[in-house]
Amino acid sequence: MSEIGPLAIGMAFVVSLYGLAAPLLGKALKRQELVRSGSAAVYANFLLLSVASAALLQALLARDFGNAYVASYTSKDLGFWYTLSAFWAGQAGSLLFWALLLTGFTALVVWRQSVYRELMPYVIATLMGTSAFFTMLLAFVSSPFARVPFTPADGSGLNPLLQNPGMFFHPPTQYLGYVGFTIPFAFAIAAMATRRLDDEWIRATRRWTLMAWFFLSWGVIFGMQWAYVELGWGGYWAWDPVENASLMPWLTATAFLHSVMIQEKRDMLKVWNLVLIILTFALSIFGTFLTRSGVLSSVHSFALSSMGPLFFGFILLTLAVSFILLFVRLPALRSAAELDSLVSRESSFLFNNLILVGAAFSVFLGTVFPLLSEAVRGVKISVGPPFFNQVNVPIGLALLLLMGLCPLLAWRKASPRNLGRNFLIPAVITVLGAVLMVAFGLGNPIALVAFTLCVFTTATILQDFHRGAMVRQSHGEAYPLAFVRLIGRNHRRYGGYVVHIGIILLFAGMAGGAFSAEREAVLKKGESVALNQYTLRYEGVSQYPTRSAAVTAATLTVFNGGEQIAVMTPQRNFHNTHQDQPMTEVAIRSTIKEDLYIILAGLGEDGTANFRVIVNPLMMWMWIGSAVLTLGTLIAFWPERGEALRNRSRYLVEGS
Amino acid sequence: MRTAWLVVVAAGFVLMAAPRHAHAGERGLASTFMCQCGCGLTLASCTHASCGPRDQVLAEIAGLEREGRSPAQITTALVARYGEVILGAPTRRGFNLLAWWGPYGAIAAGAALILGLGAAWVRRPRGLAPAGPPELSPEQRERLERELRDFND
Repeated sequence: MSEIGPLAIGMAFVVSLYGLAAPLLGKALKRQELVRSGSAAVYANFLLLSVASAALLQALLARDFGNAYVASYTSKDLGFWYTLSAFWAGQAGSLLFWALLLTGFTALVVWRQSVYRELMPYVIATLMGTSAFFTMLLAFVSSPFARVPFTPADGSGLNPLLQNPGMFFHPPTQYLGYVGFTIPFAFAIAAMATRRLDDEWIRATRRWTLMAWFFLSWGVIFGMQWAYVELGWGGYWAWDPVENASLMPWLTATAFLHSVMIQEKRDMLKVWNLVLIILTFALSIFGTFLTRSGVLSSVHSFALSSMGPLFFGFILLTLAVSFILLFVRLPALRSAAELDSLVSRESSFLFNNLILVGAAFSVFLGTVFPLLSEAVRGVKISVGPPFFNQVNVPIGLALLLLMGLCPLLAWRKASPRNLGRNFLIPAVITVLGAVLMVAFGLGNPIALVAFTLCVFTTATILQDFHRGAMVRQSHGEAYPLAFVRLIGRNHRRYGGYVVHIGIILLFAGMAGGAFSAEREAVLKKGESVALNQYTLRYEGVSQYPTRSAAVTAATLTVFNGGEQIAVMTPQRNFHNTHQDQPMTEVAIRSTIKEDLYIILAGLGEDGTANFRVIVNPLMMWMWIGSAVLTLGTLIAFWPERGEALRNRSRYLVEGS
Repeated sequence: MRTAWLVVVAAGFVLMAAPRHAHAGERGLASTFMCQCGCGLTLASCTHASCGPRDQVLAEIAGLEREGRSPAQITTALVARYGEVILGAPTRRGFNLLAWWGPYGAIAAGAALILGLGAAWVRRPRGLAPAGPPELSPEQRERLERELRDFND
């Protein structure tokens, strides 16, 4: 049984190489059977990697500790779900997961999108080339099926930091996002290779892009949630290199999602869209490179290896091939249309793109700057949260401002009358909101600006919804029905606005961080500590074993103005397999207004307990914003009659 | 021209909003220095339940505060002992200015490019309208309508 996995991976590598070569040869030699065999190789590849994945899952669930990967990431006391999550907890397993998702997506593309027959040979070649790289790593560098010389009685167990429900969802969603961007990238390469440089490749991959963006968004959100509840420092984003690595492709992909609309509507920004999708794909690989190479120290680097140079080489090769192809095709990429006015929806999209890519560049520069500094000055430096917060907060606020301005501007050219009509009500609401916030004592200037921009952007979006609904109402529809049907008529536009509202809520949650309060206290049993309106009384400590850990839990009764509102139990756990690494399990009480967050920092021999108590305002709004973002994406994802008409007509025309 | 003014206002806003103090932290000095245990986080955020390097630097900071040293003096003392790697943000000097101002410079250059190109485009004669959807034969349209009806059902 243990030979099946390595055999399947070895065969997948060979089949990937065939799938890379056959369609290209088929096109060059005009032999359709070779192209078709490339498609067959895609299905074979998926089947082989499914077999390899099933073999690894079987080894994990059977606790085959003779397998080095199983021995490193599981133990006898590890529960079922965390044993499953060990599939992607280590390097070799996560590479196999990457390859499995990629070949699964490739099979879906070949199955569902064969209508793009001119593009397909190059799409398959690009995807199978990427698969060849990952299967090569699995076959020759980091195999999940390597055996140990002597089978241990028990495994080392899963890192306790990874034993959190968030980690069950975070890596898969993150990888679905990263891998998903390979599809639009492959279509972009195919479009350049075939000179089919209109918006065909964009339309073909719109859902793939949206799906990848959605999963990457959730990968980032699950990562934030995991950091918040598991890392136990009171925050959700530490500007860690690996966190940054997930943010960068998200930012460029967000820019891409916006700029493709300009190409579809106005046939502009063809080169820019190709650059954005190339960057997004390269940054997705860069994220995996950072996680796996150990080139930058990170709290997320759970599995390091020497495969950094291989990843780096693959990124360079990808960029070289893509940009050479782009350069060669530049003459054919001239836009048919140009800007009619600098005051237009198009120009606001351009500035939105500029800020998003600028933000990605800022994060990239900060992330790699320690390496640059050491190379140029020979001085080791750190680039941590104090830097990123200072540089990126203004950029984030500028983005929020543009998000509000965009719906106010008309396509092609906004007239002064149009501007005055659209700006008036949001501007009045914004000024009123700002005045109210100042009147209620909101003193932090950055937070005031952020909340004011949130009000402005929300007002512009709601105004757009309202106007659309009013137009429908004037044709006899009841207002609520008109509102719903409005969304139904243009899923993409109004789904996008709903996503924007989710982003606004996320911004509001982040801005709430400006008002967080914190206090440390060493308490004896019966003593209390106060923070804001809360009083926490330490009731004592209890110790008990669980299946996998020895738990020490401190009990605190929480009062709000004399009224008991909760009993909270922050913990420090010693896991059986990682006794040298005590884990803090924070206690969190969430309300719509704020989170009360308690960390048990230590226990004294004299019976005292050391607590860190934090009040994080508006945290729940971040998670609500994430749900709204999901809703918006689903609306935008939903098929529209017009789009179905276009796609079907393309099929009928090309098939006739 | 209004967009140009909007960009200027936004750029001014960005520059005004950019904080000028490299070591301004909400949670005091602990959030401005990096923990040296390799976690890649600040002293205030180090995730380890017990961390020798973190506790050592925190004790040093507390000692220097008891001696009446100012935050700037504490920073100087810690940099002298551990090197610039202890700082959560690079100093605003020399090569490090690239990190501080590079992103703003890139955004400003991009804005100038958009405005320059945009102005040139606006002055030129209009381009062609994008192509419409492909033409369908009556049979194809009938088949398409039938399938769309099924799709909607």
